[in-house]
Amino acid sequence: MHHIEVTINGVLRRAEVPPETTLLSALRDSWGLTGSKLGCDVGDCGACTVLVDGLSVNACLLLAVQADGREVVTIEGLSGFEYLHPLQAAFERLSSYQCGFCAPGMIISAKALLDENPAPTELEIREALAGNLCRCTGYTKVVDAITEVCRDHANAVGVEESA
Amino acid sequence: MRSFEYITPASLDAALEVSTRNAPHVKLLAGGTDLLVELKHTANGPKVLVDLGRVPELKGIEETSAGLRIGAMVTHTEIMESRLIAQHAPAMIAAAVTIGAVQTRNMGTIGGNLVTCVPSLDSGPVLVALDALVTVAGAKGKRQMPITEFFVGPRKTALSPDEILVDILIPAVMLGRPASFRKFGLRKGQALALVNAAASVAVEDGRIADTRIALGAVSPTVIRALQAEAIVTGKNVGDTAALREAAEMAVTEARPIDDFRASAAYRRELIAVGTFRVLEEALAGATAG
Repeated sequence: MHHIEVTINGVLRRAEVPPETTLLSALRDSWGLTGSKLGCDVGDCGACTVLVDGLSVNACLLLAVQADGREVVTIEGLSGFEYLHPLQAAFERLSSYQCGFCAPGMIISAKALLDENPAPTELEIREALAGNLCRCTGYTKVVDAITEVCRDHANAVGVEESA
Repeated sequence: MRSFEYITPASLDAALEVSTRNAPHVKLLAGGTDLLVELKHTANGPKVLVDLGRVPELKGIEETSAGLRIGAMVTHTEIMESRLIAQHAPAMIAAAVTIGAVQTRNMGTIGGNLVTCVPSLDSGPVLVALDALVTVAGAKGKRQMPITEFFVGPRKTALSPDEILVDILIPAVMLGRPASFRKFGLRKGQALALVNAAASVAVEDGRIADTRIALGAVSPTVIRALQAEAIVTGKNVGDTAALREAAEMAVTEARPIDDFRASAAYRRELIAVGTFRVLEEALAGATAG
């Protein structure tokens, strides 16, 4: 067993895990954070996407021991009981998902994109989501939601600048 | 996944020591995007997993008198964001962006890509076109070899079981040499190459003084199309007919296969188109400046 300490959504968490445990298993089974989903388990579908030290990765392809000492952000870190992250609100408003299984990974990938590039083109949005598969809604409304968040952000920045 | 002992050495010597001591029941973990998939689906996993993520000698990109050194543990994302690579070997970036998806590129490493050594590996052709050298370290010390000798066959490299790939060197003479990369897949995202191709050219007084043409996914390993190179070498930069002739020759030098992704006949078409385009683009880069 390995003792690991990982900062998850700003909170230092500890666990004892066998070395073959993936970060995804530790998130879900050790820490009860079931927002990140187990889809393909081979790094193709992106349902398990989380941020590790700010970079999006497939939590199914990272060992929990590799995350020791690092900072992880999961979908649970984006919202609270009182509020939704703008991406989550836009996904909800535009019905950007149906079953919802892919949505946490989609939203984390979108956040990784917007953290680096607050004004992406549609092509950049689609390229940033190439590692996140949706098997029911499709991608149009996902791209629409992200585009809307960028537009709202640009408007808000514009208001601040002109004020 | 079957259980294993997980070790994180903090130096290359420590990594070599632990992998030699536990050979052959050892696997080296780089980015894990291939290895973890393999470990989940094998009945005979390693007894010891050596995580190379904390070995400083395997990291970093730097310019030395010998050329541009790229550590084996450098990720595809790091390559895409490297100013040194953008300045000296931008075709490597053109190749890196076609690998997997963002998540794969954030984790996957160039060394891992080379060691896994599938015939379609996207890091391969540009490195062959730029005459890259690789350094491997073992218990008896380090040795360096041309990348074409490192690739032995599908999933087979020149690494001995007790050796570790340390870095990749683009020789100084090849830095800034115009080069180009093209990949053909069934779609843009997360696709394996049906054919990938790269070319580099040196132009002197309006003539092609030197060229390297490299093709992937069309033979057991990345190959150089030597006869195609011979056709264009010495020709004038604007000699489009020579490029077409070279593209047809490249088709005869490859051994593409039929599989579930594409027929050999379709791959032959792609080889001709890809060879022509990479030559054309590399030459455009040579004459633009």
